[in-house]
Parts: sequence; C-alpha cells; structure tokens
Amino acid sequence: MATTTASFSITSNIMSYPISINKSMTMKKLQSCNGLEETSGLRTKKFVNATETVIIEENEYTDTKAHKVYIRNISSDKTNFFYVAFNSGAAAATTTEVIGKLYGGDWMLMPWLGSTDITVASITTEDDQYLEYMVFADGQEN
Amino acid sequence: MATTTATVSITSGDLQPGNRLAINASSTLTQTGLTTGLEVMEQGRVKVPASGTEYSLVEPLGTANGANFVYICNMSTDGQYYVEFVIGDAVIGYLQAGDWMWIPWNMSDAAAEIEVQAFNGTNILEYAVFKTDWTLPTAS
Repeated sequence: MATTTASFSITSNIMSYPISINKSMTMKKLQSCNGLEETSGLRTKKFVNATETVIIEENEYTDTKAHKVYIRNISSDKTNFFYVAFNSGAAAATTTEVIGKLYGGDWMLMPWLGSTDITVASITTEDDQYLEYMVFADGQEN
Repeated sequence: MATTTATVSITSGDLQPGNRLAINASSTLTQTGLTTGLEVMEQGRVKVPASGTEYSLVEPLGTANGANFVYICNMSTDGQYYVEFVIGDAVIGYLQAGDWMWIPWNMSDAAAEIEVQAFNGTNILEYAVFKTDWTLPTAS
C-alpha cells in the first residue's frame, strides 16, 4: 500500500483579519483505509494552439472511484490561461462543462470520478503554453 | 491590494518505486488577466445530511467567466463518509472524510452552481471561495 500525502495552505489578507488555512490529507481508495496505489505519473505537455485537448481519458481509469487530479499551468504569464473542463471537446469560454481557468502559475487538485474526460484549451495562439498534470488513481483499466 | 497565496505539496516515497514523488507549487491569485489580487471571499462550515438530496453550497452570483477559486474540505472523521462534489448536473468526484480540494471556478451561469450530496451520514464541510467579484442577491 502506497502513502501519498497532499498538504495545502492558503494565506490571504482579503479580510480585515488574516486568513490562514492549512490542511493535509492522505489519498485513499473509496471508503477504504488503504492508500491509492496507481498513478499516471507526472506528465508535461506543450500546447502551441488553442485546440481543445483531452489530457486525461476516462477509459483508462475505473469508473466511480476516488481518483484525484492535479493540474498546474507552468507558465508565469498571468495573462495566459487554460480552460479546464470535464467533458471531451468542452473547453470553451462559457460552456457548462467548464470547471474554471488556470492562469500562469495556478494549480488545482480535485477529486475525480473517472467517468468523464478532462479537457483543456489554451487561450493563446501566440505563446507556447505548458501544463503539468498527474492522476492519482483508485484503479486503472487494463 | 489583497494578496492571496495558495500552496500545495504532494509527496510519496512509495507510489512510484524508485522515484520519490515531490510536487511543490505555489500561486498568487489574481483577477482575470491582471496583476491585481482577488478582493472578495466567503467562507463557512456546514453540515450536509445524507438525505438523498443535492444541496447548493455556492451559488454562481458574480461576473461570468472570471477568476475564482474554491476550497472545500470534508471534516468528517468516519472513513465511510463522503460527499459527491457536483458542478451543475455533473458529478465531478468524491470528497471523502479528511479530503480537501482546490479548483478554479468559472462561475459562468446558473449551471455552474457548486453542489454537494452526502452519503452514509451527516458530513461536515468547511469551504472558502476567493472571487473576483460577487453580486449580492436582491432582498425578497
């Protein structure tokens, strides 16, 4: 059994008092005390245009499980971003499938059912953009 | 200008045998296409009963297609407890007892509402939403 730990912290001075949140979790299989044992490995992909691209295919993973997905926009330019969506071919500005936008340097870590593709689309056609991403899997299809 | 910084560290010594995993990332949250930080936030702690019902956790009441981030942590301690995390009608994943998540949120329209459904008992969630702006609902 593998042990994978994810620690999160956020600090902010938005409010008149300091905001500081710190949490740590051990990634576990669904309704189990056993840790996640499989992964896609950490991947890096270069995007040279704004074409929607499936970066995580649902058919590689067991459905309705407690997978987790980490994605980071490696770029440092805050004016460029990726749309991240939970359907194939759905990464556009205001489609209902869009989760959100990852600007340069932004990251996300979310639970994922493994039943729907994860799609991204870069906003720029002028600059090369890079994403790194990794699936922590609660079961993969053979 | 407010400064909000989100940091993650993911480590494992045995997920990839022979290749110790150590991911570290940090970002300062800004408004769409700007260097100006986010200026609005809400946070809370709720009990979500396992009643077979999806509940609205965060309503999309701001400017569409902006920069927003959502943090949710399932504070439950029973390993059988979990919530379905839903955006609109789509179940994204399961947030189990002790799990946290951090996502950008497009808040595009009513279909982008963040919803949760609890299973196996009343789950306790803590959440915080960092937003570009927020439209207060009109009083009834």
